[in-house]
Amino acid sequence: MKHEPKLKPTGWDALVAAAVLLLALALGARFSLSGAQSGARCAVVSVEGVEVERLPFADAEREYQNNGYTVHVRVTPDGVRVDRADCPTQDCVRTGTVSRPGQSIVCLPARIVVTVAGAADEGVDAVAG
Amino acid sequence: MKWTTKRLTLCAMLAALALALSWVERAFPPPVPLPGCKLGLANIVTLFALYALGAPSALAILLVRVLLGAMFAGNASALLYSLLGALAALAVMALLARSRRLSVYGVSVGGAAAHNTGQVCAAMLTLGNAAPLAYLPVLLAVSLFTGALTGFVAALLFRSAYLQRAIR
Ligand SMILES: [Zn+2]
Repeated sequence: MKHEPKLKPTGWDALVAAAVLLLALALGARFSLSGAQSGARCAVVSVEGVEVERLPFADAEREYQNNGYTVHVRVTPDGVRVDRADCPTQDCVRTGTVSRPGQSIVCLPARIVVTVAGAADEGVDAVAG
Repeated sequence: MKWTTKRLTLCAMLAALALALSWVERAFPPPVPLPGCKLGLANIVTLFALYALGAPSALAILLVRVLLGAMFAGNASALLYSLLGALAALAVMALLARSRRLSVYGVSVGGAAAHNTGQVCAAMLTLGNAAPLAYLPVLLAVSLFTGALTGFVAALLFRSAYLQRAIR
């Protein structure tokens, strides 16, 4: 043994847990705030980290190709989803419909991200600059 | 530190165990829709190795697990996720373990939070997009539970008399 670990939780452990919870709440508040400022929402499509299109939440269909894969995006007044993709993992399709600002659909193989943003605000993208 | 046969065997066994845990993990749905995101059950092994064998051995086990895991899964794009997640967890746990006041639970929760933060960083790096950051609050909340769970299992391992003898 390098050194004997304590096996029963201590008050200091609660402090660590409280710090993590506080961080979660603070970050959560930060993101829900950025969503609340905005009225109309839109879907921001990024390919390889570069924003290619902003689609307002109205009926629309788009196809994006990158990295040898095709991702089919469908926007409705209720939200946005990837309804077809030929990527091997299909995580993007399984994510289903997202509608709240800050939520996103990620297709890792195709390097495509669809993020929900308020119409006016730059959303999460502004945070990273 | 000497790489005795005993230490080497222990490391190999722990690496195999960690690999098995990462495999089991695939059966669970990821807590957020971030492809490549894992719960971090293999942190049990990192935590155990950290106390039993020290940080260098824990690092060696971690690297073997992450590299072999990516090879078996045939998924190179998820390699960065598990690597950054695992390294962040080890770094934070090694730091917290220095405090004699914290039990394995506190160390484990800190490690789980770091693991999830590392994964989000990896997602942002691979995608060149800050969008995954929005999932960090949920992931941090989840890490309270996974951290408690891995801490509980690690405590069980340390209580086992058989393992106590093996690592002495
Ligand atoms: Zn996909």
